[in-house]
Amino acid sequence: MATVTRPRGQQYIDLLDRVWGERRGLLGWLTTTDHKRIGIMYFFTALAFFGAGGVEALLIRTQLFGPNGHVLSPAAYDEVFTMHGITMIFLFVIPMTTGAFGNYLLPLMIGARDMAFPRMNAVSYWIYLASGIFMYIALAQGHAPNAGWFDYVPLASKTYDPSINIDYYGWGLIFNGIASTATSINFIVTIFKLRAPGMSLNRMPLFCYAFLAVSFALLFALPSLSVAALFLELDRQLGFHFYDVSHGGNPLLWQNLFWIFGHPEVYIIILPAFGIATSIIPAFSRRKMVFFPLVALSEILVAFLGFGVWVHHMFTVGYATVTTVYFAAASLIIVIPSAIQLFAWITTIMTGTPQFATPMLFIIGFIIFFIIGGLSGVTLAAIPFDQQVHDSYYVIAHFHFVIFGAAVFPILGGMYFWFPKVTGRMYHEGIGKLSFGLTFVGTLVTFFPMHILGLMGMVRRNYTYPAGLGFSTLNALETVASYLLAAGLLMIVLNLLVSYFKGPAAGKDPFEGDTLEWSTTSPPPAYNYAVIPTVTSPYPMWDTQDRELDNKRLERGEGVLALGHRTPGSTVQDAQLDEILKMPPHSIWPPVTALALAGVFVMLLLGHYFIAAGCAAVIALALFGWHHHGSDP
Amino acid sequence: MSTVPGEPIDRDTEAGGVRLAQRRRSQPVGWWGMALFLCSEVTIFGTMIATYFYLEFGNRHWPPLGIAPEKVAAPAIATGVLVATVLPMWFAARAARRGERRTVLWMIALAFIVQAAYFGVQVALMAHDLSLFSPKGSAYGSIFYTLLGAHHAHVLLGCLLDLAVFWFVARKGLTDYWLTATRNLALYWYVINALAVLVLLTQLSPSL
Amino acid sequence: MAPGPPSPRKTAYLVKPPPHQPRRASKTRYAVAVIVVAGAAIASGCGRQSIISNKSPQAHSITVLWWWMLGVAGLVFLGAVAFLVIGFVTRRSPGLPFIGRHEPAAQVLVLLFGIGIPLVVLVALFGVSDVYLVRQTSAPAPGTTKLTINVIGHQWWWEARYENGRAVTANEIHIPARTRVNVVATTADVIHSFWVPQLNRKIDMIPGQRNRVLLYADHPGKYRGQCSQYCGLQHANMAMYVIAQPPTAFRAWLKHLSTRAVTPHTAEARAGERLFMTSQCASCHFINGTPAQGSVGPDLTHVESRSTLAAGTIPNTPKWLADWIHNPQNIKPGVRMPDLGLSWTEVHKIAAYLEELK
Ligand code: HEA
Ligand code: HEA
Ligand code: HEC
Ligand code: CUA
Ligand SMILES: [Cu+2]
Repeated sequence: MATVTRPRGQQYIDLLDRVWGERRGLLGWLTTTDHKRIGIMYFFTALAFFGAGGVEALLIRTQLFGPNGHVLSPAAYDEVFTMHGITMIFLFVIPMTTGAFGNYLLPLMIGARDMAFPRMNAVSYWIYLASGIFMYIALAQGHAPNAGWFDYVPLASKTYDPSINIDYYGWGLIFNGIASTATSINFIVTIFKLRAPGMSLNRMPLFCYAFLAVSFALLFALPSLSVAALFLELDRQLGFHFYDVSHGGNPLLWQNLFWIFGHPEVYIIILPAFGIATSIIPAFSRRKMVFFPLVALSEILVAFLGFGVWVHHMFTVGYATVTTVYFAAASLIIVIPSAIQLFAWITTIMTGTPQFATPMLFIIGFIIFFIIGGLSGVTLAAIPFDQQVHDSYYVIAHFHFVIFGAAVFPILGGMYFWFPKVTGRMYHEGIGKLSFGLTFVGTLVTFFPMHILGLMGMVRRNYTYPAGLGFSTLNALETVASYLLAAGLLMIVLNLLVSYFKGPAAGKDPFEGDTLEWSTTSPPPAYNYAVIPTVTSPYPMWDTQDRELDNKRLERGEGVLALGHRTPGSTVQDAQLDEILKMPPHSIWPPVTALALAGVFVMLLLGHYFIAAGCAAVIALALFGWHHHGSDP
Repeated sequence: MSTVPGEPIDRDTEAGGVRLAQRRRSQPVGWWGMALFLCSEVTIFGTMIATYFYLEFGNRHWPPLGIAPEKVAAPAIATGVLVATVLPMWFAARAARRGERRTVLWMIALAFIVQAAYFGVQVALMAHDLSLFSPKGSAYGSIFYTLLGAHHAHVLLGCLLDLAVFWFVARKGLTDYWLTATRNLALYWYVINALAVLVLLTQLSPSL
Repeated sequence: MAPGPPSPRKTAYLVKPPPHQPRRASKTRYAVAVIVVAGAAIASGCGRQSIISNKSPQAHSITVLWWWMLGVAGLVFLGAVAFLVIGFVTRRSPGLPFIGRHEPAAQVLVLLFGIGIPLVVLVALFGVSDVYLVRQTSAPAPGTTKLTINVIGHQWWWEARYENGRAVTANEIHIPARTRVNVVATTADVIHSFWVPQLNRKIDMIPGQRNRVLLYADHPGKYRGQCSQYCGLQHANMAMYVIAQPPTAFRAWLKHLSTRAVTPHTAEARAGERLFMTSQCASCHFINGTPAQGSVGPDLTHVESRSTLAAGTIPNTPKWLADWIHNPQNIKPGVRMPDLGLSWTEVHKIAAYLEELK
């Protein structure tokens, strides 16, 4: 298809290059507001945390290799598995999906030139980074959170955990939550308002539906966690009594608040994976998604229904049967939208002409693991069975299949899929397939035996287990497999790393993808699109005539919007052009604000409330500067 | 679609900002940002109010013996006065869309005085309550002060926003950005006032 | 919707689609291997804590439920995977086998397998498990049981009180076989969870709550249980045994348990008793009929009648007992019993005394 570098459109491209020129060097990265650069920073930060969480996982596995292991002390083990959970969920998956993939791809897919609030986007990243460092300082100090990722009271209360460990958890999660809230607001507004003219809601890619659902889920789920954590810190630091029975408090208040957040959270983890799958499957099946509208609806439904099932994590606390039965029913109902999507994917593959390239292979793995993990989830919704295996390795098996198998595999596939777009290079297919084989087998053999261990009565969060209960063989097997898995993951990282320098040029659209991002150069220019693209269906790249039209319009300089950082703003539902928005340029205030906020939380952690207030005042000043310089670029 | 009807508008002038505001068919980006932020805040208060009743449900005596139920009059009147500031806020927003800068400034100033006064009164009331019972004495005290404290904090934040918007509108005029900011300020106060009523009802529920 | 662009895709960089069968085969091979290993493990008597080797009607019906769910899940899994296989086999030809390119047909498939079949399965599962079975495993109705045991979770051991405190023991809970027993589960500190997989579902022990669970054993026997809610450093070493006895034997045991501790015979034991009462031991432990009235640690009145110490962490042999007294922190790091720095001679005296507390 024609390229935009035709001499006749060239002058506009030069103009845009000049207008959107980014600062170079470190300062450039520090002050950038470009969603692509921010996405890349998110990617590497999240990857590093993935490495940390993975190392913790391997420590866990090594400790459990045989009975009475001595790799970690009991105290160390508790900190390691807690940090593993926190890291993987709050510092890896969510930043990786929303932060990296969402940030980089969403504006591209909807034909915008940036997020709705570019500077807020930057501040989200810096806050996320700071909160991650915040929590890892705890580990470095040897005072990491150690009451598990759901941190039940009273074990997490001052009485039973007097040291600073849990305070890192409480303040750290509130801190981290601010970033996620800002991000989700940013996504929703971007999706609502910045879609290219013509991309009415029913023409929006499923990827964007998934991220819309995730953002709403985050927006309404996080407050519950933040409030719970605030109560926890008030109890711990000021001697309040929210969770203290002896003064009229209630430890189950924590469990409810946490899981009201916690369950939606797990769908927040899986939905972006669905979004990635629905981008990869059509591209490699060479056909459009089966039942597009129903799939879109299901994505929204999953996020929505996810708010009504939290008590299925509390089937053993002694609630009346009427209560538990209601939530069991809800947990079963939520299977339906998942099933719809699953079979929509499968049928699309079946009725298409699928090409099993590396990204697609990871999606196949994702489908298989999602079925396994999902079905084990269904068994857990059967109350009597859950009351048996709750807090056993059966649960660990369930959620690693849905979390690692189903949520992380699409991330890995997506890394391969969009690598050519982001770097302009092609990865090595052979090694790609090999790495898939390793991770697939590794995952299966690491986590499948955990079902059996759970049934054999192996309790989770045990730093060791006695010989003679029959746990030893399977644990050894799992540990070996987890190293295999690690090798596979490392192979992916290396494949991409090497291809970045040595890989062949990929061109604009190596996979003949269906969404807009494939229409621009790889890597995309700072302004994403020389002309604001024409959109007439959810598969714009397959409407070749539209793309031709774009090139013609470029030659005429139509819809180039080259006076300043400009991007169109559209009406919410049918995306009619409503105004031409003006994007703020790079700014130093986001990192400054985040730094001051970090100050606030460090001081809260240490109990210096007045200094914390001082830092808050600094934030106010920073925001003032932000608006002083930023509001009229 | 090369040009929007009426484009190009310079949105960084008062004229341009006002014209844009009058021509738009959908809410501006900034408005959506504030609306969604407020969704999150409302959820936070929802969670705290739910906590209040969850804890009440688990206690035989609520408030616990030795703590008198809240006096109704003072907080009710104070809240009433605060809620009255939706009027100047509404006028400010309307004036902004019409480009009447001076009205905007006057209205914000008027609202600010009332809201700041309200904040002062509430702080005094809380100091008084603290002399009667402590947040460290019982779960009732804990949620009582946390809920109220959270709302007062939002009032304080609102007052700061008043000042900021006043300052920038005065200096930069009703550019698109600050016109939207004025409307957002009004939106913020509508929601905070609605929450004030809910918090008040929760706080007084034992006395009613 | 019509399929995408028919344009034959340029597969320059794409090696031929990989043979997919072998990989799935390898997958199943692993699954089989794993199942074999586990089957062996469970069969070879290691099922002492397994829900599969159930020993009560409750545990049994849960196991049955499990096998049924596994069966159905297996079918669902194979069905879905079969679709993928078809997709692979027919990867060259668009559309469904036989039917061909016919969008409505594809959509019907989604509705059928995405809504129809799941609906049936889920309703059935809900009826069986959450309506019918859930009653069987729920707490016994008040007054329907002859015996009630108060089990209190401590960091990190279990206290069992019979006949509201007239007979007290730790970590080894005796029950009469073939008798419905009402267990009242409470906690002295953090949340624990009482779980004896072979007998029944688990129940959490939560501050301020009196949860109850039914215990029933088909046959006399020794059933291992473990705390299954994370409760701190030694959560891993918070095991317990439920010992089901013939009713007569149980009654005899209970009678003995409520008696006072014997007065020591040997001189060494008498010295040990004096040491025990004068050193800190007495401030934490209770020995019926002596000045030792502590309540922090397990009741030691009949400690020798127990086969394990420290919540199933070590066997109750003279050597282990002595080691424990000498320094419990080596055996159970972080345990709430301090290293009292006793000399070995003192330790042996005290051990001699405790060994007489049959
Ligand atoms: C990505 C995250 C993710 C996802 C998607 C899910 C999906 C589901 N989960 Fe899971 N879950 C977790 C993450 C996730 N879970 C985590 C992290 C925990 C533990 C937290 C902790 O304790 O630390 C947990 C724990 C957990 C519990 C509590 C266990 C316990 O602690 O005792 C329960 C109980 O009901 C449950 C149920 C379900 C159900 C019913 C689904 C359903 O949504 C699954 C739906 C999908 C399918 C069913 C498969 C595809 C559909 C078909 C193949 C069609 C045919 C299906 C049928 C005919 C049934 N989950
Ligand atoms: C997204 C969530 C997520 C992910 C991906 C994982 C991944 C893994 N998890 Fe787990 N896990 C949890 C979430 C997750 N986990 C949670 C929430 C808990 C509960 C915690 C609690 O009880 O409180 C848990 C608990 C848990 C346990 C139970 C601990 C216990 O109860 O005692 C175990 C035991 O085996 C385990 C193992 C693993 C393993 C082997 C992996 C492997 O898949 C990890 C493989 C990854 C790597 C090996 C990293 C490789 C490195 C790179 C690719 C990066 C390279 C780049 C740089 C170095 C910059 N996890
Ligand atoms: C500060 C309190 C404290 C003191 C002092 C103390 N103990 Fe203990 N003891 C405990 C606790 C708590 C346990 C339970 C440990 C566990 O299993 O987690 C225990 C367990 C035991 C057990 C095992 C009981 C069983 O059935 O598992 C024995 C035996 C014992 N202590 C003997 C002694 C002796 C002898 C002394 C004095 C030399 C002593 N204890 C001093 C608190 C104490
Ligand atoms: Cu007690 Cu775990
Ligand atoms: Cu859940």
